Amino acid sequence: MIEVNQLTKKFGRKKVLDGVSFTANKGEITCLIGINGVGKTTTLKAIMGLTSFSKGSILIDGQKINKNMYEKVAFIPDAITMLPQMTIKQAMQFMQDFYQNWNQERATELLTFFKLDEKSRISELSKGNTAKINLLMGLAIDVDYILMDEPFSGIDIFSREQIADVFASHLIEDRGVIITTHEINDIEHLIDKVILLDNGIVLKEFNTEQMRQEEGKSVVDVMREVYQG
Amino acid sequence: MKSYVKLVNFEVNRFIKIYVSLLIITLLSQFIGVIVISTGLMKRAHEVMFEQNLSEKAYLHQFGGFDFTHISSTPWFIGPIALCIAALIFYSFLIWYRDWFGKNTFAYRLLMLPTARISLYFSKATAILVLIFGLLAFQMILLPLENALFESLIQENFLQTSMDVSSILQSNGILGIIIPPYFSDFLISYGIGIMFVFVLFTSILFERSFRLKGIVLGILYFIAAVLLYLSPLFIIGNETMPVLYPEEIFAIFLVLGIFIIGVSIIIGNWLISKRVLV
Repeated sequence: MIEVNQLTKKFGRKKVLDGVSFTANKGEITCLIGINGVGKTTTLKAIMGLTSFSKGSILIDGQKINKNMYEKVAFIPDAITMLPQMTIKQAMQFMQDFYQNWNQERATELLTFFKLDEKSRISELSKGNTAKINLLMGLAIDVDYILMDEPFSGIDIFSREQIADVFASHLIEDRGVIITTHEINDIEHLIDKVILLDNGIVLKEFNTEQMRQEEGKSVVDVMREVYQG
Repeated sequence: MKSYVKLVNFEVNRFIKIYVSLLIITLLSQFIGVIVISTGLMKRAHEVMFEQNLSEKAYLHQFGGFDFTHISSTPWFIGPIALCIAALIFYSFLIWYRDWFGKNTFAYRLLMLPTARISLYFSKATAILVLIFGLLAFQMILLPLENALFESLIQENFLQTSMDVSSILQSNGILGIIIPPYFSDFLISYGIGIMFVFVLFTSILFERSFRLKGIVLGILYFIAAVLLYLSPLFIIGNETMPVLYPEEIFAIFLVLGIFIIGVSIIIGNWLISKRVLV
């Protein structure tokens, strides 16, 4: 389980996160939702130890983030994290060289699924294919948790569908996923838990299935209620 | 350790094309320089002998012969060395900033590798040092070859002295700093170089961790390190202080250098592990 407790982060005098707390379990998809600048990406970066925070704590299966955690948690940011001059094959080789639990079989499976050519250079990829490669680099590591930052941002409908298909596949099941997205419609039916953020605080946290059954509301309905009054 | 070695290999490979280009430029420039200058010297000598109606013996008596110092002080020779030094100083910055800037943020990947982050710091420093010592070794290989070529192009009578590598190094001030002929000088030159790399890397990490404030902190750290290293000079220059033997002065600089490198690594480790931002 990923436990975020009272996470507080300041940029200068401005509090970007102000006591954010939530948990994300293995086998569940947890979605962080909020308008731009509410601290979604900062939360993911803090979990991965890519930014410091002023107060609070983050535990992954009861342990603080350390070098060994990167074999347990993968972060898929919305920017490509490989060198532009690399081919996809070289990028996969790089990952294989450094990650003990890199799963080449799964990488090849994803490559075929996304219809990508391993000889293509990273710099030549379209935005949609870049997002797919990002996903591949994260999913092909045998990790327990995956953090995804806006995986659908700025990509075409067909690429979005392909990525959404991955969410519903065996590639995700049993893993804990924390995702930030604006394109909620693509994966609403797959999300287990939603955390609505605003101005660095958690406005509302709910289980999607429970919300649908007990109150008959979709995620978008709740978002409208919370953000538009 | 395994990751560190892989990272060093990776970092060196990222610069290898430019590096090989620098080696080729050095080789071509210095060899062309040897040919152009040697033939020019001989041509000029014959012209002077013809114009002034001098015999070889009279010319040599009046103007003297030629040796490799006629080559080693020319832009043909020093130019590519200066270019290599400038390129490596520039790359000492770029080796960090290239991972942060641009459309593809490779810093994410590097910082999320399942290895201690200090390995990144050490691997980048090692890569720079490997590149520096590689250039040095290359120059050491070129020198006797260039000297042999020079001696083959100059008529035997006009050859003032046949120089070995050591005497070439001692005869040229700049070359003597880059490739010190004595081990103690080598330790001083390259000890300062290694210290510079670590202090610079820690200053860059201050900037990468605290951005605008980090620029000020980085510059202050750099200045503090330089002042601390040079502080014995203020004491030595003070007439009220006891006179120190050269060995004692050397030991003071050595200890200070090790101390500054150690502090830079400790602060660098803290910054890259706890504070650095992507």
